[in-house]
Amino acid sequence: MNPKQFIIAIVLGLALAAGTFLALRMQVPSAPEFALVLPAPNPVPEFSLEDQHGLPIDQTVFEGQWDLVFFGFTHCPDICPTTLQVLSAAKAALQEKGQSPLPRIVLVSVDPERDTPDVLGQYVDYFGEGNLGITGTLDEVSKLTSGLGIYFEKQPADGENYAVDHSAAVLVINPDGGFGALFSGPHIVENFVHDLPIIMGGS
Amino acid sequence: MRSVFFLLVALLAACGAPEPPLVVSELEITRPMPGMRMSAGFLVIANNTNEETRITHVTSPQFEAVEIHETTVTDGISRMRELDTLVVPGRTSVVLERGGKHLMLMRPQDLQDSVTLQFFSGDLPVLSVDYSFPKDEPK
Repeated sequence: MNPKQFIIAIVLGLALAAGTFLALRMQVPSAPEFALVLPAPNPVPEFSLEDQHGLPIDQTVFEGQWDLVFFGFTHCPDICPTTLQVLSAAKAALQEKGQSPLPRIVLVSVDPERDTPDVLGQYVDYFGEGNLGITGTLDEVSKLTSGLGIYFEKQPADGENYAVDHSAAVLVINPDGGFGALFSGPHIVENFVHDLPIIMGGS
Repeated sequence: MRSVFFLLVALLAACGAPEPPLVVSELEITRPMPGMRMSAGFLVIANNTNEETRITHVTSPQFEAVEIHETTVTDGISRMRELDTLVVPGRTSVVLERGGKHLMLMRPQDLQDSVTLQFFSGDLPVLSVDYSFPKDEPK
């Protein structure tokens, strides 16, 4: 091998190594940085509730699409609308980035006493199209929440002016109806935009 | 005599107008969402005096009731509680913001394009502010 051939061989070798390195790097998915991903998805427990149109639904409503599920109530002026705004903004940002499919936003009412389907429907529609509101009897809501490890408790107060303590987490439910990841608060748009494509792409 | 007059004018100009004891900034009031009879208020209250001010209640002609609330998130649980008093220490600002202390405005009455808030310390009115909703905000 003369010096010229030697140099060409070195350059080709380096180019091959660099190409292999980049190819491997691009294939390794980055990990979620903000969500807690469960080792194995937990199936959503059985329940019998209503959507915002008053139609009966059960656990199968979570099958067929990705869902971002928040537990709150419409008489909450602070955390609940802020969280739904964050989810709505995150969904818009994901759409802007070309993410497909997009997750559905779901609000499960922890105050079914005041959150009738009609009230809940106006509320979830305010945050965009295609959102799902879930309400019904307290017992059936409790079946769903306890099965997912979600806490809520109505606080004593006079009349209708009461608050409900509730978990602030947003759950990610996969198209098989499995609860697979969880975002703890405080909720930030960029966290969802970063992690969701990884979580949804990793199924 | 003339020089004394000018000295007085200069001193007054140097002092400026008296500083109001409480000043509000970053005021934002959300419109009630469709079907809802409540909204929230967020603002910063600066106390320009050396004495603390204890705000005991807030009223508004546009709402039947206004309460001072605080949201906390501890161990993943969101809790909202009414506060009896909002203390604004002397020479300090108190922030009412999303996810923290805030005003809860309940049962709107003939709500149009603006809201007036009146803050009281006991029977004493200590602050009054007006807020106009942004013109492009849906009613």
